[in-house]
Formats: sequence, C-alpha cells, structure tokens
Amino acid sequence: MRAELRGLGATLVVLTPEGGVQLRPDDPPERLRPAPKFWKTFAAGLPPALTLILLAPDGTVRLRRTSDDAVEPEAILLKVLRAAGKAVRTQAADAKHPAPARNALERARLAGSARGLGRRELLLTSLASAIALAVLDACATTPPISEAKPNSAIGPDLIDVNLEINGETRKLRLDPRTTLLDALRENLGLTGTKKGCDLGQCGACTVLVEGKRIDSCLALAAQHDGHKVTTIEGLADGPRLHPMQTAFLEEDAFQCGYCTPGQILSAIALLNEGRASTDDEIREGMSGNLCRCGAYPNILAAIRRVRS
Amino acid sequence: MRHFTFERAKSVDEAVKGGAQPEAAFLAGGTSLVDLMKLEVLTPLRIVDVSRLDLQKIEARTGGLVLGALATNTDVALHPEVRRRLPALAEALLSGASPQLRNAATVGGNLLQRTRCAYFRDLATLCNKRTPRSGCDALEGWTRMHAILGGSNQCIAAHPSDMCVALAAFDARVKVRGPQGEREIALTDFHLLPEQHPDREFALSPGELVISVFVPTTAAAARSRYVKVRDRASYAFALVSCAAGLELSGGTSGRIIREARVALGGVGTKPWRSIEAERALAGQPPTKDSFRKAAELLLAGAQPRRDNAFKVELAKRTMVRALTLAAEGA
Repeated sequence: MRAELRGLGATLVVLTPEGGVQLRPDDPPERLRPAPKFWKTFAAGLPPALTLILLAPDGTVRLRRTSDDAVEPEAILLKVLRAAGKAVRTQAADAKHPAPARNALERARLAGSARGLGRRELLLTSLASAIALAVLDACATTPPISEAKPNSAIGPDLIDVNLEINGETRKLRLDPRTTLLDALRENLGLTGTKKGCDLGQCGACTVLVEGKRIDSCLALAAQHDGHKVTTIEGLADGPRLHPMQTAFLEEDAFQCGYCTPGQILSAIALLNEGRASTDDEIREGMSGNLCRCGAYPNILAAIRRVRS
Repeated sequence: MRHFTFERAKSVDEAVKGGAQPEAAFLAGGTSLVDLMKLEVLTPLRIVDVSRLDLQKIEARTGGLVLGALATNTDVALHPEVRRRLPALAEALLSGASPQLRNAATVGGNLLQRTRCAYFRDLATLCNKRTPRSGCDALEGWTRMHAILGGSNQCIAAHPSDMCVALAAFDARVKVRGPQGEREIALTDFHLLPEQHPDREFALSPGELVISVFVPTTAAAARSRYVKVRDRASYAFALVSCAAGLELSGGTSGRIIREARVALGGVGTKPWRSIEAERALAGQPPTKDSFRKAAELLLAGAQPRRDNAFKVELAKRTMVRALTLAAEGA
C-alpha cells in the first residue's frame, strides 16, 4: 500500500472531530491532535464527520472529500478514491480551461493541476482504489512514531534515515542498499533527479549534498543520514525559476532534457565553486555531465549568461 | 546489489573492530565500492561507514603534508599548500574523475580503489583477481587499457589511480591502524604486484583502516608536474600518465639535475615509480636527451600486448613532457 502512495508521491491526511492521522509514504503514521487552525485550513469550516485529503509532494491539496454522515471510514475511503480517478482525469481538462480561483485552497489546487497530467500520475491513478482499504488499517496497526529509534540500525532489513530534502526533513525507513538516487526517486517520488548510467559515469543524477555536487547513484542514502540535499525540485522559488533554469530555457540548452536536471545542479555548483572564469574552465568543470544530444555549446552559453 | 548490514563507526577503534569481521568493507565516499557492489563484483556482508570519522584534516607541516584519510579529492587538490608544495598531486587529482566524484572520493578510498579492467568488472568473464585461479580473459582479450609493466601470467590489470602515481613519486607513507595497532607503509609497498595472487592487492590485514598519508615536500616536489594522456579531453582514465619532479642546481646556463622523481600511471599493475630512471637523471643536465634516455631505461622491460603496444612510445613521450614541464618550473 505504501508503495502505491509512494508512487503518487502523496501524503494522505484523514481528519475526524477527535483528531486525525497523517500518512506519508515512508514515515510511520503521524497522529494529529485536533487543531482548530488546521481544521480551518484544510476542512474549511466545522469539522465534518470525516475528511480525507490527498496532498501532493509540494503540499498542495490534490483531492479533498468530506462526509457529514458518520459512515464507516472504509466506505468513505473507497468512495473517495474512486472519485480520485475521476478527479485526476478531469484535471487535464481543467488545466486547459482554468476556472478563476475562489480562495487560497482553490488556487493551490489549480497550481497543482496546472502541471498537467503526468504519465506517472495517470498510471498510478488506477492503483488509487487499491490503496483505499489498506489505509486505515495501516494507520491503526503501525506503532507510534516515538518507538522508532532514529539513526540506528534496526536489523539487517531496514534502517531509519533522515534526509533534509530541499529544506524539508523526511523520515525514511530503507533497505540499506538504497542509493540516494533511488531514495529520492522511488521513496520520495522526486523524479526530477534522473537515473542515467547508474554507475557514476554520466552525471544525470547530480544533486547537492551539504552544498556540494555529487553523483547520487554512487551514494548510499544511509551514509547521508541527516544531510541537506538539494534536488532540481528545490531550485525554483514558487513560480519563479532559478536563474540557471531560466538561462537553460533561454539558451535552448537541452534537446531531450534527460540530462538537464543534473546539468543545472552541476552548473549551479560550478559557479559556487568559483572556477568558471573561462570557457575552458566551464567545459572542464562540467565534464562530469554527459549530454548525448550534444547541447554542450548551449549549456556553456547558459552558464556564461548566469555567471555575468 | 547483495544484502548487507549497515553500521556507522563512531570512532576509529569501533571502525577497526567492525572492519575486522568476516566479509566486512569500509565505506567512505562510496564512489568505488558502491559501483562495484552494484555490479556484484564486490559482495560484502557488512558495511562499516567510516565517513563521519574525524579524519578529514589536511595539515601542512614543515617537512611535508599530512592528508587525512577522509579528505576529499577536491579538498586535497584545491588546498593552497598542496598546490604550492606538491603541484603534481593537485594536478593528478584534478585530472581524475569528475567534480562530482572528486567531491565524494577520499584519500583513503583512492588508495584502495580497484582496477578498471573491463574483465574484472564483468561477471560473465574470467578474472583471477575476482575469483582466484579461475583464469584471465584479459590476457588474450581487448588490452588497450591494460598494463605493460608489472603484469604476470595471472593478471595484467592496470592500476587506475592518478593520485597514487603522484604520491608514489614523492615517497608518501600511509599510516594505518588495525587490531594490532598503528603502523606505516611506504606507498610503493602499499599496492602489491599481481604475481600469482592478483586477488591480493594491498599490503593490509583485515580491519586495518587508512588513517592518513604523509608526503615529504622536497625541492623536487615543489618543482613537479603531472601529465595525463587519455582517450578524451577530460573525465577518462589514463592511457598513460606521469608524475615528475626535479631539483635543479646551477645557473640558467649550466643547470644540473640534483634529484629527480618519476612515476608512471596507466601502464603499471601498480603506481609505477622508477628509482632506476631517477638515478639515471641525477647529475645530468635537464635536457630532452637526458629525459629520453631515462624514459628508454624505464620502459626497457615493458611487455605490451596486442592492443597496447602504442603505450611504450606514448609513455616515453609523456615522461619527457612531464620532465620538461617540471624543468621549466610551475
């Protein structure tokens, strides 16, 4: 069930008048105390009998369904997740003809849907109903979070790893073999970081760890426990792109785009390192990022543009 | 990747204890180990993460440099004292891998990195290094990237490191700590020739952890260069490389080599220091002729194979180039 939720990259929040449960794909269920402010934000009004909210990875509300009747939670979930498929399907149409936003919540929803309908999302919509029945069970049976010891090996199978991804702390429980790249893509749904060769030879998986660029495919997630990680998803400031992203667009610095997230992070790190005063230095400094479309001249131009 | 348990060492002692367990492996930057674990060339059962140990420091002392085992390749390459007192080391490091890999890779990990022999990395082929006495497909295989010096009838895999070539030329010593305590190993003794046991690559006992590397910084070290020739302009392993350093005496007209240092990369089954070539250079004028003669001497015993005969001449020319640059000064 968690794998499906992980695939959606979503957080599930279930609210009742007595409190609620928040479920992230890789964290134990987190119990929420009744908080009027929280209720106002998400439920927009008096607490109904049950509210289910699906939050996108960026925190926007992708789906909200409430019931005023004290029906069985399982039934509500099933109903809600059936509706989810429909909602996702209609989002594509919404994106083409956006309706004016009525409030902040609506704006957030529209911002989410403006991204359009991703391939990944579409595939996973069909799995949504499978999540339905399992969710509340999982909430009820998983031990509370305080019992898990952070940073310690908990047997040969899974270990707890905390990563600060783009400013947000994420608690993960991982197979020790998980690379940082796979943790980002498969466990956190941050698929902007690309897997190219998976052998440290192409640079598509470049991310910043503690401000320094590394190939995330050759790092175990466990060895970076507690570290700050910046991925392509963390560069833009809301709708405002990072200057390097803008420069790549303006200089046409990609064709297929697969290597681009790695190129952009590498380029940002290169300028921070301050060893990019000549074209040759830029070329050498970017040698760890291969572009099989051969967009190198334009990548060079983009970096030059940001440097000046 | 095979299953393993993961533990983070909180102290050197704890690391040594964990590393001495059967089938254990130390993890520092991961650039070499994780790569080979993915290919299942290496299948440790126990990973001891040593990356948080306090071994990152680079110290410039009067007689030389102390490089902490966990100093990254980037940190060492960009350290102002390394660049001033041993430019060949900085150049060697910057010529290796990519910025991303250099940010993760460490001094200790670089010392212990494994060969890039394509047969070693491919489980479908025979390799005596991977599985002792199973055979070697490289001997009659594609040998462009293989060694022409130091090979045996068991193995001709080239040593891949640039850093180690520079360290070998300048008398670096490796400090290690193991269950038996601490000891120092000369860098030229740290890597073993393949001989009849190519699976044994390092002069280390189980549990021994690299603590630091000491490099004396002599006059020849200060006047040193690293030249690397490879199949593409950057981000490739060496076909041939050379670390060279010269201490010169006399005026500009009648200069004489007091002391020379030479080591080659890409051609040997280990970083290839040549005391013989160094002796031949001492007392000679720093001219192309003397450099060429020393190079001929060094490569006299070369045993090229079908695809790497070009390395003999390329190595000589690379060595002459590195010595010429060293003579010109940084």
